[in-house]
Amino acid sequence: MKAFTLANPSTLDQAIGILAARRERGAHGRVQVLAGGQDLLTEMKEHLAEPEVLVNLKGIGGLDRIEIDAAGALSIGALATLSALEENEGVRARFPILHEAARSIGSPQIRSVGTVGGNLCQRPRCWYYRSEHAKCLKKGGTECFSYGGLNKYNAILGGGPSYIVHPSDLAPALVALDAQVVLRGSAGERTLALERFFTLPSEGSILRENVLADDELLVRVIVPAPAPGMRSTYLKFKERGSFDFALVAVALALWPDGGKIARARLVLGGVAPVPWRCAGAETALAAKTMDESVWKAAGEAALQGAEPLGHNAYKVPLAKGLIFRALQSLSRA
Amino acid sequence: MAARKSRRKEAGDVEAVSELAWPPRGDLAVLNHDLRRVDGPAKISGRARYTHDVRLPGMVYARVLTCPIPRAEVTLDLEPARKIPGVEAVIALAEGGTKWLGQPLAAVAASTPEIAEDGIRAIRVKLEPKPWAVDRAQATAEDAPKVLKDGNLSKENTSGDETEARAALTSADQSVEATYTLPVQHHVCLETHGVVVDYRGGDEATVYCSTQGTFTVPESAARELGLKASQVTTIVEHMGGGFGSKFDLGTEGAAACRLAKALGKPVHLMFSRADEFGAAGNRSGSRQVLHGGASQDGRLVALVGDIEKLGGLQGGSFPGRGPYIYSVEKSFLRVRSVYTNTDVARAMRAPGHPQASFGMESLVDELAYAIGMDPLEFRKKNLKGPVYARQLDAVAREIGWAQHPNKVAPGALKDGMGVGIGFAVSTWGGGGGEGCEVDVRIDRDGGVTASVGTQDLGTGTRTYVAAIVAEELGLPIESVTARIGDSRLGRATPSGGSTTTASLAPAVKDAAYKARTLFAERLSRAMDVPAERLRFSSGRIADERDPKRALSWKQACGELGGDGLSARGTFQPGLSSNGVHGAQAAKVRVDTLTGRVQVLKMAAMQDCGLPLNRMAIRSQIQGGMVQALSYGLLEERVIDSVSGWALNANLEDYKVAHASEIPEMVALIDDEDTRPVIGFSEAAVIPGHGAIANAVYNACGARVRDLPLTPDKVLAALGRVG
Repeated sequence: MKAFTLANPSTLDQAIGILAARRERGAHGRVQVLAGGQDLLTEMKEHLAEPEVLVNLKGIGGLDRIEIDAAGALSIGALATLSALEENEGVRARFPILHEAARSIGSPQIRSVGTVGGNLCQRPRCWYYRSEHAKCLKKGGTECFSYGGLNKYNAILGGGPSYIVHPSDLAPALVALDAQVVLRGSAGERTLALERFFTLPSEGSILRENVLADDELLVRVIVPAPAPGMRSTYLKFKERGSFDFALVAVALALWPDGGKIARARLVLGGVAPVPWRCAGAETALAAKTMDESVWKAAGEAALQGAEPLGHNAYKVPLAKGLIFRALQSLSRA
Repeated sequence: MAARKSRRKEAGDVEAVSELAWPPRGDLAVLNHDLRRVDGPAKISGRARYTHDVRLPGMVYARVLTCPIPRAEVTLDLEPARKIPGVEAVIALAEGGTKWLGQPLAAVAASTPEIAEDGIRAIRVKLEPKPWAVDRAQATAEDAPKVLKDGNLSKENTSGDETEARAALTSADQSVEATYTLPVQHHVCLETHGVVVDYRGGDEATVYCSTQGTFTVPESAARELGLKASQVTTIVEHMGGGFGSKFDLGTEGAAACRLAKALGKPVHLMFSRADEFGAAGNRSGSRQVLHGGASQDGRLVALVGDIEKLGGLQGGSFPGRGPYIYSVEKSFLRVRSVYTNTDVARAMRAPGHPQASFGMESLVDELAYAIGMDPLEFRKKNLKGPVYARQLDAVAREIGWAQHPNKVAPGALKDGMGVGIGFAVSTWGGGGGEGCEVDVRIDRDGGVTASVGTQDLGTGTRTYVAAIVAEELGLPIESVTARIGDSRLGRATPSGGSTTTASLAPAVKDAAYKARTLFAERLSRAMDVPAERLRFSSGRIADERDPKRALSWKQACGELGGDGLSARGTFQPGLSSNGVHGAQAAKVRVDTLTGRVQVLKMAAMQDCGLPLNRMAIRSQIQGGMVQALSYGLLEERVIDSVSGWALNANLEDYKVAHASEIPEMVALIDDEDTRPVIGFSEAAVIPGHGAIANAVYNACGARVRDLPLTPDKVLAALGRVG
């Protein structure tokens, strides 16, 4: 790992002040934000990240709170650990999808240190990106090696020119819950839908996966109080049961109405460079009866437009199968 | 069983005291029981010192630079590394034409591991890529670059008569032709390869080495250091796994010796995981085109096989000549190696057998279903001797085959889910031989020490060395100290081929027996009892005719002079045997909507002659099942053949089974085997993945012929992809 200076701000404003140095052209990578370090430190050890300054957020108080207000809205500080989220009784009772997503991440050791903010802002796991020798699009190169290479784990939706998949488990679950993120920078705070936080490679900077400005920090996630009667689940399919990223994940929230589905939100993980909202599938589910033909139709609608690469066509039936299983499990609840 | 020194039984003799043989199993007080590892607490608490843990005054740390592409013309500029403060020595290990991905190019020694890493990165490497072949497709392409001077294919080895075998195929009632492939698997020793070389000039050196052959190290280290083998001590107090990959000094050990010699300081050099995956060996890949035929009444009548071994720059492994284990009436096999610009394959737990087993067990299974016969019955019909039948029946009982509905075809799915059962068998040698020298010492204060330079590869050597001596002297195991892992102690054979126990246990027994005899002779005078009437049991030495005439162990030892007594034992034939069998069954659940395979249960039965430590044996059997499950479902070395990059030289992307993948595993010891001690640990890793693949077919009709058996392949076999 390259030597660096560790900055230990005690307030958000101090931290943002240090980040302002990034606004200088090409300086983004020189200053990086350290929370739990579960991704960044490995990137540094692998020389994928070589910051000169690390801004340690751990000294800033109050950023790790998880609170549910009287109306039922949930607020999660960016520094809340994944295990704190997993173990929170209110989250478990009211937002099972979030509890399940948190529990599915990494290992107990990683969850006890990794943070919610870090999970949302983590970098791709694509093995070309993670290879120091591969100067890929994501690292300022001119080629996405996965496109014509060994792309078993890459995107089937939303890909191009880069075909990474977003690795976060919390992201699809939070998008399914219609969560918002609070970003704070020199110009103050802004709040936007989490769904709009993530960027496709064809939209934002190819070097990043979200809209965070150089001097901005993700400080909080807000989950609005769900309409009454919500059922939700996060179904993560891992090649290896323990300690693995998703081949495909399904984040599903739905509101039953008698034997029917009043409305549903369906988001896929592991298939696209962003958490993949399946609006077509949501439409296919709305006002339908809970039965197998509807679950299958939802899967078909969700995978509309999928464009598999050479080695990942299996993700299409896998995602459909997993959507079926997710709907089936909520129908039993 | 040969008795080296037996005497005629006389009236009144309960049993010949001096007979050198294992007592009847029912009479054993320590052996054939569950024994906790004597070094367990040290390992659990972190007190056990592995090579990686060795820290010496003035020690420097070394790291290795490896070649990131499979073949290149390499020029190194070491100067930038030498300029880094804290870097003490930089040496080139290879220059000019490199031959494989991961080949060590240079080594740097520095005052800290971090500085050594900086040093490695500072070396200027000019790589001029040369055409390479890293997989079968590249190596066998028409315009393939030559990996070796003589080309990319070895000479063929054939066995059997091709014309006869093909004729038998033609007349078979049913035949199956299929291609089975297995990936390159890494050993994944938790402790990577490496050494700490303690040489500060002069004529003595100590090499701490993570090795499975204490005595394979001194000679090579001496050569590098310019010493005599007798001037080099090797220490292997504990080692974190070898599985066949850790003999001799290795490139890494040789580099550390060179650095130590240059610096006159102790050098610590352990491979990183990425180094390990590129330059510490692997299990060779395999491609088997098998064409088998069966008669409608369940006989294997024909097999024609075309086998390729993918062992990188060398041959790779495939066992024996002819069909693996099963009897086939007419068979013909052609075996050859395909060479690639990748790391040389090394021995890995039952070299070649897990590959051969998967091909043969899959084919046998396919033929059984093709003729509509219960695959368990089909197996029993085509295996020689009664042992496999009894073991297959035992694991079938344990896994619930009798109650299982899918006997001759995959069953109906329930909610897209299928449950299936599969079987496979194994064989191994595991015999012993000469080469171990064991010393047993009894001190006046009651202390007992058994010493031999052997290493514990993980099978529990230290524990059974103590246990055999304790058994012989009638003591609890805690009363005996086992000293191993030091080349100054008695010679011992390296741990390869599951031969350690069958070689070492007889020598330990011999030493203990001699020590007991000698002790009995000394006590005979003091106790005024003929030596042959003295019984050693329950911590006492007593006259068998008048048990009241007895001494406690402590009292008896007090009768020894200040020198105590000692005896040396060597290998004695008759105390160990050779040739083991095993059978395993797996039960799986397959979700046909997603391709998920969940192993629900595995059962294994294994023979091993006299079980020295039942707990350790079950643990070895379970370890074999775990390793086979991981090989079958997850593990695979991945190299991008275009760029030449190793894509999963880490433990994130190279997936090894963790705790939550491990189902209930039942390990059964075949107690009907009455032979003396035999090594078996390799046999336990052979059949598990084949049994799992067969269970997947039995569950849902997905025949996956290419390992690892990942969800994408299950979905493809079910016709759901594309």
